[in-house]
Parts: sequence; structure tokens; C-alpha cells
Amino acid sequence: MNNPDFSLYLITALLPLSAFLLVIQVNPFHALVIRGILGAIATLVYAILGAGDVALTEALMGTLLAITLYVIAVRSSLVMKLGVLETDFQKETQASISTEEKEKKDLFLLIISNFKKIIRKYYLRLELLSYKDINNLEKALQEKEVHGICFPINNNIKNNENLDNKNLYETIFRIERLYEIISQENSNVETNLSYVNIKQNKEEN
Amino acid sequence: MNIILVIMILTLLIPIYQGWKDEDIWQKMLAVASISSKTAILILFISVLRDDWMIAIVGVIILTVGNAGFMLLAQVIKRVTTEN
Repeated sequence: MNNPDFSLYLITALLPLSAFLLVIQVNPFHALVIRGILGAIATLVYAILGAGDVALTEALMGTLLAITLYVIAVRSSLVMKLGVLETDFQKETQASISTEEKEKKDLFLLIISNFKKIIRKYYLRLELLSYKDINNLEKALQEKEVHGICFPINNNIKNNENLDNKNLYETIFRIERLYEIISQENSNVETNLSYVNIKQNKEEN
Repeated sequence: MNIILVIMILTLLIPIYQGWKDEDIWQKMLAVASISSKTAILILFISVLRDDWMIAIVGVIILTVGNAGFMLLAQVIKRVTTEN
């Protein structure tokens, strides 16, 4: 410990340690936060080795700017966009305020919470987009605005109030991988829910 | 003085361990903020030991700008976690 270089070696050894922690992370957001630790320690090592300009660049550009940009990129790419009808969408926004008991009664809220539970394992986020009617919903799927759509099967929406509990929902996915993920873990989902996988061979002009 | 430096490095290991073990993203953010402050203080301490003002300025800038940047990062992460 009397060696003056001893603490220098100790500080330099922190760099591969934090790099190892970064590599073993699975969740992309956790990895980005650990990247902040790596950046701070890299700055320390550069500074005590005498490279003040390199340390400053690592702290400002390498750590701050890169992490913030990557968080925004991950946030906008790891998302599953699900198109729903306007009436269902309102139910969902109201349910987030009220208690979870309502969730058990309503099939749509149950389906949505199930989807969230399944895709959370893949670090995905569910984003609901509301559309006026089924025609708009299918048009959005054709034009690739959404990854999937979820709607009640009986087209007559006026009857919904009478048949509230017997309502059937259909979910159509445009992305094959999303369909695989949801259908593999289908065991917990309510039985009156069906999935249809449509492959689009539409030529892009 | 070398002993003090070694003790400071060992204290730096505590938030690293916490950031590795804890699954909650906010605990990880806390660990990052803690580490960034500790490294800045360490840089200041070494700069005073060596009487090197260039390194001291780097430490001061990291101490001030670094934590402000983590505020920005926390705002983005907050939006992601509240939507789920």
C-alpha cells in the first residue's frame, strides 16, 4: 500500500469491473444506466492519468449525450402499438384512475392487462391508439400505422350494453413475431379471444 | 494520503455493488448519481494532491454538469415507467 502507484492500479481496475457489469445486463434500460457508471469511472481514470480534455469529452459527450439519445431511441423502438376502438380506449383511460376490481369485470381491460404482462418479459411497452370504427382500424393496419388491432367481433356496437359480458374480442397482428410471443403464452388469456395472423405481401410503391 | 485514497476507492465500490444488485431502475439511477459525485470528488482530491489545476477544472465541471444531465435522463425514464 506504500507504493504510490497502488491506488492508481486500484482505480484502473474499476474500469473493467464496471464494463463487465454493463455487458451482463439484459434489460436495455438497466444497461443504459450502468453505462452511466462506466462513463463516470472512465472519466475518473482519464483525469488521473493526466488527460483532462479526454475526460471532459467522455463526461459530456460519451456519457450525457449518448445515454440520453439512446434512452429516447430505445423508448420509441421497444413499443407495441395496438389499435383499439374509441369506446374501448375511453374505458382504458378511466380504468387507470379507478381500482383494479373493474379490470376483472371488463373483458377488454383484462385482455389489455394480459398483453402488458406478456410483453413486459420482452421489455416491450404497450401503446394504445384509438380509432373511430372498425373500418378505420383495419385501414390503419393496412397502412402499417399499428402493429395490431383489437376490436369486438359483433359489429353492432349498440348491442354491447346488453351483451357486455359475452362480448368477444378479436386481435389481429401484423408482425409475425408479436403473434408468436402472444400466442405462446396464451394459457392465461380468456378463452373467448382469438388471434389471426395476416401476412401482408403488399408491394410498396 | 495513499490510505485516504484507497478508502475513497473502497467507498466507490458500495454504489457499484448496489447498482449491480438492485433491479429497480430508480435505485440504479441513485447509484449512478452517487458514483458520478464520488468520482468528481476523487478527481478534486487527486488534483489537490498533485497541485494540478487542469484536472481540478475537469472535476468541477463533472460535478456541476453531470448531475444536471442525470436529471434529464431521469425525466425520460420517468415517462417510460409511468406509461406501463
